[in-house]
Amino acid sequence: MSVFLAKRALALVATLLIASLAIFLVLEVLPGDPALIVLGTGAQDDTLAALRRQMGLDRPMLERYLVWIADLLRGTLGESYTYGRPVADLIGERVLVSLPLAVMAILLSTAIALPLGVASAARHGRLSDTAIMGFVQLGVAVPNFWFAMLLILLFAVNLGWVPAGGFAGWEEGAGSALLSLLLPAIALALPQAAILARVTRSSVLEVMREDYVRTARAKGLTRGQALWRHGVRNALIPVVTIMGLQFSFLLAGTIIIENVFYLPGLGRLIFQAIAQRDLVVVKDLVVLLAATVILVNFLVDLSYAALDPRLRLGNGG
Amino acid sequence: MALLEVRDLRIEFATPQGPAAILDGVDLSLERGRSLGLVGESGCGKSMTALAIMGLLSEQARVSGTIAFDGEDLLALPEPALCRLRGRRISMIFQEPMTALNPVKTIGRQVAEGLHRHLRLGRTEAEARAARLLDRVGLPGQRFPLSLYPHQLSGGQRQRVMIAAAMACGPDLLIADEPTTALDVTLQAQVLDLIAELVESEGLALLLIAHDLGVVAEMADAVAVMYSGRIVEAGPATAVFGAMAHPYARGLFAAMPKGPGDGTTADRLATIPGQVPDPAGRPLGCAFAPRCSQAQDLCAAEPPVESLSAGHWVRCRYPQRGTATA
Repeated sequence: MSVFLAKRALALVATLLIASLAIFLVLEVLPGDPALIVLGTGAQDDTLAALRRQMGLDRPMLERYLVWIADLLRGTLGESYTYGRPVADLIGERVLVSLPLAVMAILLSTAIALPLGVASAARHGRLSDTAIMGFVQLGVAVPNFWFAMLLILLFAVNLGWVPAGGFAGWEEGAGSALLSLLLPAIALALPQAAILARVTRSSVLEVMREDYVRTARAKGLTRGQALWRHGVRNALIPVVTIMGLQFSFLLAGTIIIENVFYLPGLGRLIFQAIAQRDLVVVKDLVVLLAATVILVNFLVDLSYAALDPRLRLGNGG
Repeated sequence: MALLEVRDLRIEFATPQGPAAILDGVDLSLERGRSLGLVGESGCGKSMTALAIMGLLSEQARVSGTIAFDGEDLLALPEPALCRLRGRRISMIFQEPMTALNPVKTIGRQVAEGLHRHLRLGRTEAEARAARLLDRVGLPGQRFPLSLYPHQLSGGQRQRVMIAAAMACGPDLLIADEPTTALDVTLQAQVLDLIAELVESEGLALLLIAHDLGVVAEMADAVAVMYSGRIVEAGPATAVFGAMAHPYARGLFAAMPKGPGDGTTADRLATIPGQVPDPAGRPLGCAFAPRCSQAQDLCAAEPPVESLSAGHWVRCRYPQRGTATA
């Protein structure tokens, strides 16, 4: 187990370094002078040069990269040109929207997908299987922003149960904040649940053909018992993989849904920062998101070991 | 009354060419405490027969005939009643020990599973019983704790775990489907000895499925030779091995490698030309006729069943007389 952990942790650090270097280099070659953006095109040359010096842009690339990494490791992020505020504060605010939204969406999606997928596999080839997979196909095909608009029309405009958009903020109490995240979470969860249900179904179907499921049946377990006790855990590995990918996507990839619902989340922040060439925000935020994705993948790897004892290398086997 | 009485068992699957009869009227009989060897080439329907007795055929299979176990027709029993029989009174061990155990469950759990299910034993008691069972099959607790996972064991050790799990609830009938085929030759004899010893001491009935006549000759009181979904010759082992009558059975016997020193090892082994026919395109009359060196025109008609001696019968129009030469 410890060997497995050490290997994965090493890979984690290496991936993080490579990702940070890639992000830094890409932003270096990107056109657009941050000093020029801050001061505007009418700025004097000597003012520009002074600002560049103040921002550290006149120093060599390697030095700037190392300073940036060292700052990141100390937890000091830069200051946004356009907001005039520390990036850490901006991210801190936005994470309070994006993280609960992602968690809600992934919980919803899992709660819908796992039972549907397993039920569908258990009824393989029957009418209910076909019906479930039909709905799932619909879920995969419907774009989430369009589905989001339908949700707003029905639940916000016609029924008035939830706000149509915007974020109430946590100061107003958890209830209203969660309520304003409910529709976006549903809109995000549905397509993800559809994909997850398909993966679950095919994975369970594959496992049900395994010899050890037949052995379980030969011991007197019913079809259902063999499925739940011997099938599901073995079938979870591909499902957990997809869940990890989906969670990473949910943290960063919610730009469209955040725009549809006017949510001040990380997706909107990164979108605006790119549009305004606020490179400090972009750089810090992207490296943070990359770190999150890598960390989630690390956790997924750890969950493999929890699910499958064969992966716990070095445990005396 | 025999413990297991299979009569006119037919299993059909729908294929694009029409229904294919995998089993075409199989009869078997096994007394309590006795052992029956079912032999034949791959694809002749041996494993299907075993799965039919277990009631574990796929849902697409159409099954007819009767499988009487202790007087009850298993084919007429509802699924919950079958679940109470499986693992409790009828157990089965499979060919592939590498895949027949669940990789994510400890061997202790897998052996104890039937004890929970059928005997309603609590955790500690089931574990104690599982440890004794593993000890019994040659996996002593000091070296093989219950917490091991299948991947930490060799193929032979895994097959021992399978045997322990099958024996857990003290079944009346053990079905062993090619239990040693996937093992190294050196392990085959050990595992067969273990099965023979358990069958003997527990008074089990054993249905041993094999493609190897030698294994059956060593282990079984009675033999049934299967070809293309039918039993072509059956009887007490001494009678059958003493006077094999069906040309196919003789061919199988001749194809057996002999031990060293009998003077024949330098020769090539005898083979039976051709292949088992596809069940969808099985010839009328005797299914073996196209491969049979003794076949004549009349073999295209349904072969008669001829009784040769007490309990020894053959399904052939021209049964061979005298001792089989191998």
